[in-house]
Amino acid sequence: MKDSFLNRMTWLHTWLGLVLGFVLMAAFFFGALSVFDREIDRWAIPETRFDPQPMPSFDTLLQPVYARLKPHPVDMAATQQRVIGELPHPDTLPMSSLWAYTTHRDPLLQIGAEFDVPNKLKDDADEHAHVHGWATIDPRSGEFLHNNKLKIGSEWFYPMHYQLNWAWLNLGAWLVGLAGFTMLVALVTGVIMHRKIFREFFSFRPGKRTQRSALDLHNLSGVVALPFLFFFAFTGLVIFAGTLYFPVGHTLLKPLHEQHEVLEAQRTGLPHEPSGVAAPLASVDAMVAEARRRWAARDMPGEVGLLMIEHLGDANGYVSLYRAGSDQVALVGQAIHFKASIGEVLREEPPPSALGSINEFLTGLHLQHFEHWLLRWLYVLGGLLGCVCIATGFIFFVEKRKRKHADSGSQGSRVVDALAVATVTGMLIAAIGMLVVNRLLPADLGGKGDWEKLAFWVFWIVALLHALVRSAPVAQARINPAWREQCRGIAVLAVAAVGLNWLTTGDHLFKTVFTDTYWAVAGVDLSLLVTAGLAVWSARKLAQRAQTHAAAMAAEVAHG
Amino acid sequence: MAEALMLCLAALFSLTGMGWLALSLEVHWRQLFGRRAELSASTANWLRLAGWSSLLLSAVLCFIADRPSMAVLVWVMLLAAAATTIALLLAWRAHWLRILALRIGA
Repeated sequence: MKDSFLNRMTWLHTWLGLVLGFVLMAAFFFGALSVFDREIDRWAIPETRFDPQPMPSFDTLLQPVYARLKPHPVDMAATQQRVIGELPHPDTLPMSSLWAYTTHRDPLLQIGAEFDVPNKLKDDADEHAHVHGWATIDPRSGEFLHNNKLKIGSEWFYPMHYQLNWAWLNLGAWLVGLAGFTMLVALVTGVIMHRKIFREFFSFRPGKRTQRSALDLHNLSGVVALPFLFFFAFTGLVIFAGTLYFPVGHTLLKPLHEQHEVLEAQRTGLPHEPSGVAAPLASVDAMVAEARRRWAARDMPGEVGLLMIEHLGDANGYVSLYRAGSDQVALVGQAIHFKASIGEVLREEPPPSALGSINEFLTGLHLQHFEHWLLRWLYVLGGLLGCVCIATGFIFFVEKRKRKHADSGSQGSRVVDALAVATVTGMLIAAIGMLVVNRLLPADLGGKGDWEKLAFWVFWIVALLHALVRSAPVAQARINPAWREQCRGIAVLAVAAVGLNWLTTGDHLFKTVFTDTYWAVAGVDLSLLVTAGLAVWSARKLAQRAQTHAAAMAAEVAHG
Repeated sequence: MAEALMLCLAALFSLTGMGWLALSLEVHWRQLFGRRAELSASTANWLRLAGWSSLLLSAVLCFIADRPSMAVLVWVMLLAAAATTIALLLAWRAHWLRILALRIGA
């Protein structure tokens, strides 16, 4: 009875892990990169290599910038599908609300706005008659970042982490969600299967057979990073649960949700609807000064992280200022709301309820906008341990079966191994190759970002094809040479990326570390060099292992 | 600066804590002091006590350095980093850990 339960757990762990492991690998690897998404952005867009900036003055700098912000063509096209009749020209749509968001790591400022649309909506239940505009600006000058630039960290690696850059029907996000749920199942079943958790807690025996040492590493990484893996899979699901996976507030419980909004507006005194009476906007800078004074008085001095204005130009308009969460786990907090037309305080938000605090803690610990460099690096380590756990899971799967498959002529382990090569070393090749291409393409090339995205996929597909083409030895129970060849490829690309960064921008490591310190770029360069070193070392180890294996095989044949 | 020092000490104590806990396991004790080295029950108990105290001390230091919500995260992640480091040391540079046995192993 007990044995059959254990067998079932093993079956679940093996097959769920195998099928969704490929997705999980991408989620963990790009998640680890996303910890330093802004720093990767700086590396990829050299003209933005300057120090992080606080929220700039609204009255003098931001107001004219918002006057130039127009609805985004992408959202215009999407909204056109939902409304009856032709949308008016984007330049004529009135702005009804706006926001600006920054953190202690952002030299650039992200801004956005909602514009009212006069058209009737096709679907009665759909009441979002807005079109959105967004942009990234230089907060020192108010200049817009040129739209051919792709922020590789925050606009490519980061969305890769939670939706695989596959926006169609949100399939990417659903797949990652399913993989996150699988991770939870794999952790629970893994703990049940692993009967010597404490006795083998520190066990890694690299000298043993590949199958044994892979299982050692699988157990080690899974057990020591268990809290991290569990909480990140779980909080990742929590972040999307309310909006994407179970949007009950917008479907099943919609009337309740709306009722709640109206009641909340009554309770907080923040108008839910515009009044229809035009009103000017008082000095927002004065409101910012007042908010900062109030935060300091509460013994939590800070900067504005998020600025929002609702019902722009209306007598019911209000300005909301949220304190940046650099010193706390929650992203932002301690909001203070002002009446937009006269600048008087409407409401100072009380500390969140117990449930609200838990929610803020869970989402905040995952999204990490706080200032804590040690914890940031520890998160990278956690993400990489997750990758090691999944990768060694693949290797164990293959090692356990490949001899049997070689005898029976099955191609199963050969295919799994090639896919594993593509998701482990191939993913690194795609990511680093993209950085190389970023430095090779001219800065003013039209659609530069699109070429970089294309290069990413091309590198990845080439890595997969290479792994498949070289996979024949696996069918004879040997190692796929693609593993070590791709390791060498990673080393070459990583060194090339660092060299090209030097050549094209003049920012070599001696400068970024010592003479003109800029850790964002130095950190990316150093990480690339460490990656190159580890890749060379791995390639050498793999070659040694292949040789000893070949010698053993030869001896076997000679004796046989 | 004081915070950085606290965090460095916290990292050090989580490392020694994990090291002592590893030594309290016979298999690793023998790895360091030879196959026939005996790990007496009382030595193992002392090592376990030292290990857990060290980890606890590391937690205290984390809570001094940061506010509680942040300190929990830092501590849990430090434990993962320390355990990984100890496991890798045991795999490739096991003799380095002899320093942790102080005089008990002599």
